[in-house]
Amino acid sequence: MKRHSIIASAVELGFLSIAGVAFSHGSGDDQSKIDLVVNTPTEAVSREEGLSAWDRIYAVASHPRCSNCHVDESNIPMWSGPSYGKTRPHGMNINAGISRIGIESIPCSTCHMQSTVPNDIAHGAPHTGHAWMLAPVEFAWFGKSSAEICEQMSDPARNGGRDGDGLVQHIIHDAEIEAFIVWGFNPGGGREAAPGSMQEHLDDMVLWTAAGMPCPAE
Amino acid sequence: MRLTVNRATYEVDVEDDMPLLWALRDELKIKGPKYGCGIAQCGACTVHLDGIAVRACSITTKQAEGREITTIEGLGTPDALHAVQEAWVEHQVVQCGYCQPGQIMSAASFLSMHPEPTDEQIDQAMSANLCRCGTYPRIREAVKAAAAKLQGA
Repeated sequence: MKRHSIIASAVELGFLSIAGVAFSHGSGDDQSKIDLVVNTPTEAVSREEGLSAWDRIYAVASHPRCSNCHVDESNIPMWSGPSYGKTRPHGMNINAGISRIGIESIPCSTCHMQSTVPNDIAHGAPHTGHAWMLAPVEFAWFGKSSAEICEQMSDPARNGGRDGDGLVQHIIHDAEIEAFIVWGFNPGGGREAAPGSMQEHLDDMVLWTAAGMPCPAE
Repeated sequence: MRLTVNRATYEVDVEDDMPLLWALRDELKIKGPKYGCGIAQCGACTVHLDGIAVRACSITTKQAEGREITTIEGLGTPDALHAVQEAWVEHQVVQCGYCQPGQIMSAASFLSMHPEPTDEQIDQAMSANLCRCGTYPRIREAVKAAAAKLQGA
């Protein structure tokens, strides 16, 4: 395996622009770091290995920590947790709107601050180093099958214009700013984390993309 | 740390991660923002940061440094009420009153972005400010009245 190390430091976040108003949150004193290593395969990755890696990626993508904000054009985020039973729509009549950041009614940022301090308060509105928001509607994962999510994630027209390397870099960038993927694996507040670790997720993304992004049959 | 609250400047000696609500209430004795849940679930502590509603219980004081903080005390004055405050009085929205500073701050922020809101938008925007007295029908009417006042202003 060829290894090169990427040290992603928690950095102060930039600006969330909502209707012309700039938000700049962050204490500036966060010392947390996430170390990720891109383990580039030195040999060809088989389709079977790629599909196996995809199964683990799907387990992450379909986990409530990730899929709850990857919702469809209803624009309604979901809630899951031990006290809710079945996953349910976000309380408080929340609808993030077409903007996906709630600008049509109440911005997500009203309650979800942009901060890299730990999420250690149970039931508190979680926060990350990225401004809180729904994923773009074409990235809808909630309620989708493994094949459906796989086809979406491997389609540059529906994944933010990313090729395989772009998907890998997306995870690395997320770690650099301590955004949503970081939070999914360490949500705090008693929330169930997405399965595995961020390093394992990155490893799986490297394998899956190296295998040509194979997708399971429906 | 220097804070600008209701157009006045204050020096506060607090930890960076102290919630803004604590700094406002305990250090500056500005008691309009109320403590309800402390975890951004109820909205009683809502203030404006550069004109946009945020939950003061969940933002750190450091994050508010250098920003324009507005509490219910700075939205209007008894002699010159904000349109939302006027509408609140005219529609007698308040019952017990505890959540109302947060309701008014949320409504004012919402109307600054949506001068002609639909009922659905009002209900969505104001549902995140909890009112156990159930004043929501009066809140909706007052927000519509305030929108009309602001349009005519």
